[in-house]
Amino acid sequence: MSQLLAPPPPTQPSQAAAATRVTSSAAPVVVGDGTTGASRARSRWRRARWPLAVLGLIVVVGSLAAVLQPRTSEVPLAPDNPAGGGARAAAEILGDQGVEVTMVRTSAEALRRAAAGTTLVVTSTFLLDDGQVEALSESEADVVLLDPDWWVLDAVTDGAMDLGWLGTETVRAAECDDPAAQAAGQVRSGGSGVVAVDPAVVVCFPTDEPGTGAYAVLDDGDRRVTVLDDASITTNDRLTEDGNAALVLHTLGRHEQLTWWVPTYGDTSEATTGPAAGELLPAWAGPVAAQLALVVVVLMLWRSRALGRVVTEPLPVTVRAAEATLGRARLYRRSRSRGHAAAALRAGTARRLAARVGLPRTAGAPAVIDALTRATGRSREQVAGLLYGPPPTDDAGLLQLARQLDELESEVHRT
Amino acid sequence: MTITWRAVALTALGLLPVLLVPASGVVLAWALLVVVACVLDVSLAASPRQVAIQRSVPTSVRLTEGSRSTLVVTNRSPRRLRALVRDAWQPSAGAVANRHEVDLPPGEARRLVTSLVPTRRGDRHADRVTVRSFGPLRLAARQVSLEVPGRLRVLPEFASRRHLPSRLARLRELDGRTAVQVRGSGTEFDSLREYVIGDDVRSIDWRATARRSEVVVRTWRPERDRRVMIVLDTSRTSAARIGDLPRIDASMEAALLLSALAARAGDRVDLVAYDRRVRAQVAGTGGPRLLPALADALAPLEPTLVEADWSGAVSAIRQRLSQRALVVLLTSLEPAAVESGLLPVIGPLAHDHTVVLASVADPELATLRAGRESSSAVFDAAAAERVELERAAVGVRLRQRGVEVVDALPDDLAPRLADTYLALKAAGRL
Repeated sequence: MSQLLAPPPPTQPSQAAAATRVTSSAAPVVVGDGTTGASRARSRWRRARWPLAVLGLIVVVGSLAAVLQPRTSEVPLAPDNPAGGGARAAAEILGDQGVEVTMVRTSAEALRRAAAGTTLVVTSTFLLDDGQVEALSESEADVVLLDPDWWVLDAVTDGAMDLGWLGTETVRAAECDDPAAQAAGQVRSGGSGVVAVDPAVVVCFPTDEPGTGAYAVLDDGDRRVTVLDDASITTNDRLTEDGNAALVLHTLGRHEQLTWWVPTYGDTSEATTGPAAGELLPAWAGPVAAQLALVVVVLMLWRSRALGRVVTEPLPVTVRAAEATLGRARLYRRSRSRGHAAAALRAGTARRLAARVGLPRTAGAPAVIDALTRATGRSREQVAGLLYGPPPTDDAGLLQLARQLDELESEVHRT
Repeated sequence: MTITWRAVALTALGLLPVLLVPASGVVLAWALLVVVACVLDVSLAASPRQVAIQRSVPTSVRLTEGSRSTLVVTNRSPRRLRALVRDAWQPSAGAVANRHEVDLPPGEARRLVTSLVPTRRGDRHADRVTVRSFGPLRLAARQVSLEVPGRLRVLPEFASRRHLPSRLARLRELDGRTAVQVRGSGTEFDSLREYVIGDDVRSIDWRATARRSEVVVRTWRPERDRRVMIVLDTSRTSAARIGDLPRIDASMEAALLLSALAARAGDRVDLVAYDRRVRAQVAGTGGPRLLPALADALAPLEPTLVEADWSGAVSAIRQRLSQRALVVLLTSLEPAAVESGLLPVIGPLAHDHTVVLASVADPELATLRAGRESSSAVFDAAAAERVELERAAVGVRLRQRGVEVVDALPDDLAPRLADTYLALKAAGRL
């Protein structure tokens, strides 16, 4: 007899044995990762040296550039602007002559520096607000206004000066006793002119209108207010023209200290009022914040080191087998080929029904129609129209056809 | 070096002195204190590089069954080892609780067991073992990740083994042990025995009866020692996912059930996994060693994204076969792939051998085909219908060339293939 007498067990015992078999104690013993402190330090240095070198180079080049390149700006009339509209030439000459030129951008800073015996030059006045103008008028320093607005001029000189109406750009002679104007001799000015309301005002470089000039000085003993109606006289472009240089250097270089105020948008008189944000906090807030920051740093250090690296999974390709079919369906849909879709549905139904009624695979359409007419009791035209009729013209027709085919299929039972 | 939550807590504790004496010097002093404490703690920790680690892991486990990876950790440093050990595995190895707290005096060893429940077939590899050795204050720790190699081979699940008893019963019916006598044209003569009432009179051996005093009948048994060659297609078509698993997994189930059955029936089973070259093969193994060998060969197989080279496969098959055999091609009835690759070369092979093509069908296709909710569902249904028609047409062309085609859903493929095998055996076509 055969060897198949013994009823075989349903599972394979040999596999179960394999599952519990454990590798022998010949498994290697791992001690350390073969590195020493020195070798780890070396490899760390090897890894880090190029990034460190690049970083160092960037720092060196950056600091050299910062040291070698003098700081410049592009603000008009600023003493650090070397362009045509700047005033660096005048500032440099004044510096060479021993005048300490300080550029400031805020009213608070400007007024703090403007003590008696110093000069404060304001390069433009239209950005100033009322508070700043008031503070300026109360300043004890000598004030030089370049091309001021009428209301600023009015406030600072206490109504002693006013602006003229219009000016024509012409070369004018000093025609006054002021030493600065005398030194300049003549200048070309295109400003609107300054009108002396108070007789104490000395007006130089007069225009055709009486009491109007390009340059006006009001000296009331304590302080001196000098007004130049054309700010461009101080620019690098025009400093060398006519007597511009002499006029500007005389005007600005009267004292050892010169504060060069270039007003900015962000600066208002309100900002200077009220206590700073830091002053509102209690004294212990700073150290506690520092300690909390320290805690956060330590917390980050704690969480940043993982217990070993993340292990990745080499994933197999997992494409759904039906993707190709769905892609074909999308193609049908996009090209609206209801004819193809209907043909597929009809062919599928015809194939299944033909097999069900016992027709050979090679049976032609008439044979299938005959057999199905007999099997369903429907009319021949109906069956033929369903299975071999014209393609549907719209989606609703296709849907209806699919449902009718289902119906037909449900009516045919295996013979 | 790394720090622990205690270092964070110690730093936070510094808020108290800072609140008492609010000065930046206190903050600096406390930071210095924390740094000094951490450095001191680390310098007192046992070196994780003086820890000896030995891994033992089972060679193989069947999918869905649990297994254990064991690490023997020995402290070889002169200090006490307080450590956290992580036994990292690939995610699909299913090592969930893989972090172990260890407190070892010098020279002692401990066994750390990580349970593994693999979720995927194939070779699952262990990643590094990370040892984080804390100082006595547990403020800071030294850490090292060590390569401790380990591999767990996850064998195919062989869920289709539940179909085996019923198929073996059918095999025994064929074998003539039950009252039902099977007389097929190709069954081979087994022995003579006395006639009992109920036997088919056509099986009476008159010549033997004449020589003896009683009526003798011949008994038959199925052919034995036939060769079964299973060819597993690992090309791109086997990568497609059906349900949750790629097609190749369903093919493997079928291969395992067929091999188990054929081995019981006394046939010799060979297996070749092929796409453009031989990926795995099992030959000349019989008896109880066959199934473990097969499972071991199949386990690491993954589908490759290349087109199958069927002419190469056919010559590989021919090389391995000298006599007529049953050749089972576990592939897919993908119309384009079959037409361009398999059809031109299958004819001669089917002439020399009995060829069965087993293909995994996609249940989603049937779902798509029944869609009638909207016009777009009907377009899907039409596309599915077209694919079915093409598959059927390819099946017809294969049958015309003498190939048996088994096209079944993933769960049905193994039993259907086994049934086909039994039918062929009963018909004596092996």
